Amino acid sequence: MTLAGWIFLALAWSFVSGLAGYCVFRTLRDE
Amino acid sequence: MAIAREHWATKIGLVLALSGNAIGLGNFLRFPRQAALNGGGAYLIPYFVCLLVIGIPLMWVELSIGRMGGRHGRGHTAGMFELLWRHPLAKYVGALGLFIPFVVGSYYVFVESWCLAYSFFSLTGSYFGLGSMAEVGHFLAGFQGVEKNQHFASLLPAYCFFVVSLGLNVLILLGGIARGIERMALWLMPMLFVLAIVLMVRVLTLDPPPGAGPDQTVLAGLGFVWNPDFSAIANPKVWLDAAGQILFTLGVGWGIIHTYASYMRPDDDVALVGLTTTSLDEFVEVVLGGTIALTSAVVFFGVAQAQQIAAQGSFDLGFHAMPLVMEQMPAGRLFGALWFLLLFFAGITSSVAMLQPTIALLREDFGFTAKRAVWLTGALMFVCAQPVLFFIGHGFLDQLDFWAGSFAFLLFAFLEIVIFTRIFGMTRGWAEITHGATLRIPRIFHFVIAWVMPLAMGAILVLWSATNLLPALSLDAVKEADRPYVIGARLLMVAVLVAFWVAVRAGSRRRAARGDSA
Repeated sequence: MTLAGWIFLALAWSFVSGLAGYCVFRTLRDE
Repeated sequence: MAIAREHWATKIGLVLALSGNAIGLGNFLRFPRQAALNGGGAYLIPYFVCLLVIGIPLMWVELSIGRMGGRHGRGHTAGMFELLWRHPLAKYVGALGLFIPFVVGSYYVFVESWCLAYSFFSLTGSYFGLGSMAEVGHFLAGFQGVEKNQHFASLLPAYCFFVVSLGLNVLILLGGIARGIERMALWLMPMLFVLAIVLMVRVLTLDPPPGAGPDQTVLAGLGFVWNPDFSAIANPKVWLDAAGQILFTLGVGWGIIHTYASYMRPDDDVALVGLTTTSLDEFVEVVLGGTIALTSAVVFFGVAQAQQIAAQGSFDLGFHAMPLVMEQMPAGRLFGALWFLLLFFAGITSSVAMLQPTIALLREDFGFTAKRAVWLTGALMFVCAQPVLFFIGHGFLDQLDFWAGSFAFLLFAFLEIVIFTRIFGMTRGWAEITHGATLRIPRIFHFVIAWVMPLAMGAILVLWSATNLLPALSLDAVKEADRPYVIGARLLMVAVLVAFWVAVRAGSRRRAARGDSA
């Protein structure tokens, strides 16, 4: 696993996890 | 008289049902292969660009069309397209949104039943002891009835699992929207997330098997999927594959999202529901799906063999490589059962969605009761699935997958976005999308939907057709013995499409007769 691989993994995981977490929070809050 | 319309009981129930439709076998088997074969981490650049300019906006467009259809008592795309385009052809174009999920469902339920079967086979250890990919291949071929061997003497076990799977679909749909589909999603989707996370942790903590080479580690597996090859970005095929994966994974362009959205309330938030659905699907695909299958394949087979497995196809990864992985994994029977149960959950939450548009057609246009509509749809799908079950060795399933599961949905998505932006009009379209939105959609998406999406979808359709359509139309590559089956599969699809055209024409006339015209 190269450094570039780690960077792509970290960016992609952060993006989708952060977006999913925020959206689920908003959905539950608006319920 | 219009029937009383059902609604989703909760927003999270709607989101989980839509996510259940989106999250399927492709999240766990197709995405990691696509990433590994198309530039690793660099593949994520075209992938996320396509997500932003095609996937998310198309999700909003389809949800808004569906919610608008629901306001007019229309739960299928044929009826909805009459609202978008006051032209006699509209309903026939919209009928693609009935044809695609029905045809795909007729083989998808069968594939989903393999997952249920393999979960059972994992627990009983039926395939444990098979030492090579070829032997596991014979096990699958015997199960599918393609060959008789020491593992299976007939198709009967596969047939039984198919009947059970279709029966479970029907059972869920008999409960209706809130008490059937929504309740299923509220139970199965959290279980799916937990199962996937358990399996991901198991894979990330795997030790190399005895005698393993230096490249048989978890880090090498992650590197196989994630190490970027930036030269891939310059390849148009990588962009085409990324766009195809986005459309495929989100389940847009099928007519299903419209039907689910038709059960939203008139002021429900399309923007937040669409973004939440998309982000949950992406979380499962990128984080969980990108880690489990190929990483474990690298640990047990090494990078070179994992490369071959990835190149062979999703079915090979799921049903040839993964059983061998489970054989070698500590507590493999348990984790094998969990892995295939996870795939089954991902499958059934998608397949119930594929049956619902036809149920909506029968209920709304022909006055069927909910139960009769579900039973008739289940029976029709059972009949259409028979040639898939019996002729799978002759390429029958591949034909349905190519024409309905690839070409038709690209065509439908393109026609849909053209009708929405150019005929219905972006002024009314944007008002529909933003109506009731608690999440502010940036104005740039107005431009993206109006201009980028039609051009992008047109380019995808043309490029894909140029690459795939002509070779597929010719029967030269098909074995002589398989040709009658391939032609039969195409005739079946034509018959199903014509049947839907006749049905939506009759339905439109019935609506007009009761004063409910567009």
